[in-house]
Amino acid sequence: MVDTRSASGGDAAEARTLRAASRPSGEGAPYIWTTSLAVVLVLVMLVGIVVLILVNGLRTFWPSPLVEVLLRDGTRYLGEVHAQEAKPQAQRTGRAGAPAEYRTKLKIGNRDLGAADFVWIDNASIKAQRPPSDALVFERLEYGNFYGRLKEVRAGERPVAGGGEEGIATLRRFHRTAAGKRQKLDDLRREQLNIRQPLTNLEREISALRGSRFAVSEEGAAELRRLEPQLGPLQNQLNEKVRPLVVEQERLRRDLEGLRVVMETANGKIASIALADIVRVTQPNTMGMHHKVLHYLGKLIEFIWQQPRESNTEGGVFPAIFGTVLLVFLMTIAVVPFGVVAAVYMHEYARQGRLLRIVRVAVNNLAGVPSIVIGMFGLAFFVYGVGGTIDQLYYSRYLPTPTFGTGGILWASLTLALLTLPVVIVASQEGLAAVPQAYREASLALGTTKWQTIHRVVLPNATPGILTGIILAISRASGEVAPLMITGVVKLAPSLAIDGSWPFLHLDRKFMHLGFHIYDVAMQSPNVEAAMPMVYSTTALLLLLVLALNSVATIVRGKLRQRYAGSKL
Amino acid sequence: MAGSTLEKLTTGMQEAASETSSRSPQAHRPEHLAAIHCENLSVFYGAQQALFNISMDIPRHRVTSFIGPSGCGKSTLLRSFNRMNDVIENVRLEGKVLIEGENIYEPGTHLPTLRKNVGMVFQKSNPFPMSVRDNILFGPRRQGVKNRALLEQIIEDSLRRADLWNEVKDRLHTSALDLSGGQQQRLCIARALANSPRILLMDEPASALDPISTAKIEETIYELKDEYTVVIVTHNLQQAARCSDITAFLYLGKLIEMNETAKVFRNPSNKQTEDYVSGRFG
Ligand SMILES: Nc1ncnc2c1ncn2[C@@H]1O[C@H](COP(=O)(O)OP(=O)(O)OP(=O)(O)O)[C@@H](O)[C@H]1O
Ligand SMILES: [Mg+2]
Repeated sequence: MVDTRSASGGDAAEARTLRAASRPSGEGAPYIWTTSLAVVLVLVMLVGIVVLILVNGLRTFWPSPLVEVLLRDGTRYLGEVHAQEAKPQAQRTGRAGAPAEYRTKLKIGNRDLGAADFVWIDNASIKAQRPPSDALVFERLEYGNFYGRLKEVRAGERPVAGGGEEGIATLRRFHRTAAGKRQKLDDLRREQLNIRQPLTNLEREISALRGSRFAVSEEGAAELRRLEPQLGPLQNQLNEKVRPLVVEQERLRRDLEGLRVVMETANGKIASIALADIVRVTQPNTMGMHHKVLHYLGKLIEFIWQQPRESNTEGGVFPAIFGTVLLVFLMTIAVVPFGVVAAVYMHEYARQGRLLRIVRVAVNNLAGVPSIVIGMFGLAFFVYGVGGTIDQLYYSRYLPTPTFGTGGILWASLTLALLTLPVVIVASQEGLAAVPQAYREASLALGTTKWQTIHRVVLPNATPGILTGIILAISRASGEVAPLMITGVVKLAPSLAIDGSWPFLHLDRKFMHLGFHIYDVAMQSPNVEAAMPMVYSTTALLLLLVLALNSVATIVRGKLRQRYAGSKL
Repeated sequence: MAGSTLEKLTTGMQEAASETSSRSPQAHRPEHLAAIHCENLSVFYGAQQALFNISMDIPRHRVTSFIGPSGCGKSTLLRSFNRMNDVIENVRLEGKVLIEGENIYEPGTHLPTLRKNVGMVFQKSNPFPMSVRDNILFGPRRQGVKNRALLEQIIEDSLRRADLWNEVKDRLHTSALDLSGGQQQRLCIARALANSPRILLMDEPASALDPISTAKIEETIYELKDEYTVVIVTHNLQQAARCSDITAFLYLGKLIEMNETAKVFRNPSNKQTEDYVSGRFG
């Protein structure tokens, strides 16, 4: 250890002292070590969590190989290896100190045949295992994956192909046909719904009125008497209109019913599956790199653009992405003007005195209020207070069924705006404080009014600070879930908040949200294990989304900083 | 004088802002009136008094300089001529300041108009982070001048007067912050001139500049007096001697002596002034 005190006089000695101080062995080394260790720990944890989420989240869509396992007792399993681990001590058979025993977690699917999705297999009980090249995986609309071998493809009542490579090719061909027909069926169904829309509206109106307090009044009863007779004729008229569609759908449905595939499971059970129920056919053990990449991209696109299936554990998360982005967008629109105006008043107009100091402290503390408390306030104030009043004033005929007096994307975004308001105010004030007083004086001395000065000089130069506030607000808001759960988020929203029907933006609607989606799939889904990959992928997506929103704002801020770089003097 | 201070103050900008001003015809303005006249002016920062009973007359179309040791109240006095002291909290003022005969501390004075007519250049150059052009046009635009030809005219005129035109005429669209320090200060002068003020207040305009830039600014100041009344604060006694007609010496918030510059420097009537101008002081 270098004794730094003994180094005295001369440049060389001084240099040595400096070097000694910057080396951990110098004086104060324990502090340097502990502090740097803390930083390293924090970094490791952060990087670790991000890597874990991204790796697990992005790996989900990669096709995993199939294995067929034959146990000593003759049981056969076909599935994907999900995990290998040492057996817990309690389940071990050998003496203490014997080499660790392993077990394997296999995803075997075929939920509809009574099996659980996953089995644990003791490695010691395995007699043989191999990767069968003819094994197929079906992703299905219901009941999760199916694993098995092709026996027969049937069209109508007659078989069109047996097993083997040739059969698989036929299967793929017929599957495409079936998918096309299913698409057609969906289109027809949608068209039918559209045609019947007036009827649906009328029915909804009547049933809402029937249950309302308004119906008891003279006026309401009259309204009902007026509406009810319209129901029959409209029904007849629309039924006439949709009849061809119904017939066509019936025909398609019969066709699809006949398109089936007969499969044999590892244990020799036979299952007949309608091709229309199959989303995707894969033969993972024979896939080349090229196919795997295509498969991956296909799944990724499905994940981002499609609706969820099987109570959110499969399919896509598009409605949740949409809800999250729209929510944050509405929140920003609400919070920015409000926060900036408040900051401008506090920093530029208000007398800088004790009262203002108290207000500042209050605003700072508001930033620390737990989000669930803000959520409760949002529920009481926005949903019941403002929403209830709007219902009283404009939608009273439907009461007690609420229209705006219930959770919805508007109230949720306003609640989030409230949550992030202090952040925006504080950051904006800092932005304003960073504008040199000299600019204000120069502007005022040129004969501008106070407002002109604020508008033309102060605010433009404060934009980097204001944008910092917006960035922080977006980061905070896009990760919040608690306040949303009581102000309108749902696990499955029937329709998006923006669609083609008047008035296009439906602020009263419930919405889905990535954060809540994660919670829902991880904690509330019927098959938590099978839903795990979805949780990882959704988390990764939320992470990337927040990152993207932040980067955009940061880039904009950088551009503005360049423009308003401080004076050289 | 009846309450039309503004009309009288604004007559000078007629040629520049003719399209916006629908103001009364040139009011009678007696030539003997001082540009700035103050009477028993005292200024307080909170409890601390910075100026004590200052009374002075600053004549038209002359350059008047304020000299005195640091902290004696030169800036405070200058800033009370265009009410820039109002920007500072807890400032209190007693006495009168008459700009061309009108008391600017009377309630109802329109500050933007006053400051448009009494322009100011600060000690530290403070161009806005905008292009040269936008800096010059900042005042006129806020005053509501829209005519493009007129705006172009204003740019060239004010830059020429501030002796900057030749240096920046090809880079009017670059950021003002890319100019040199001396150019920035002359830009600030040009920016003040673009408002067509009647009086120009300059607080140590050359203190941060090299001798060449300083000389240029002094030249500019000397030329300006044909059209403007100029008041300049300076620590540089040679500068005061070179470019001002009248010099006022302030000390500890009091006006000690004010006279023709030549007299103040060669033959001061006050002992303190003599000590200060001969460098035997502070
Ligand atoms: N904003 C302020 N708040 C409180 N006191 C101030 C303020 N500005 C100036 N003063 C005080 O008023 C007195 C006069 O200041 P002023 O700035 O007018 O001096 P000055 O003559 O311009 O000095 P210098 O030559 O250094 O610029 C000083 O004692 C100063 O401390
Ligand atoms: Mg000063």
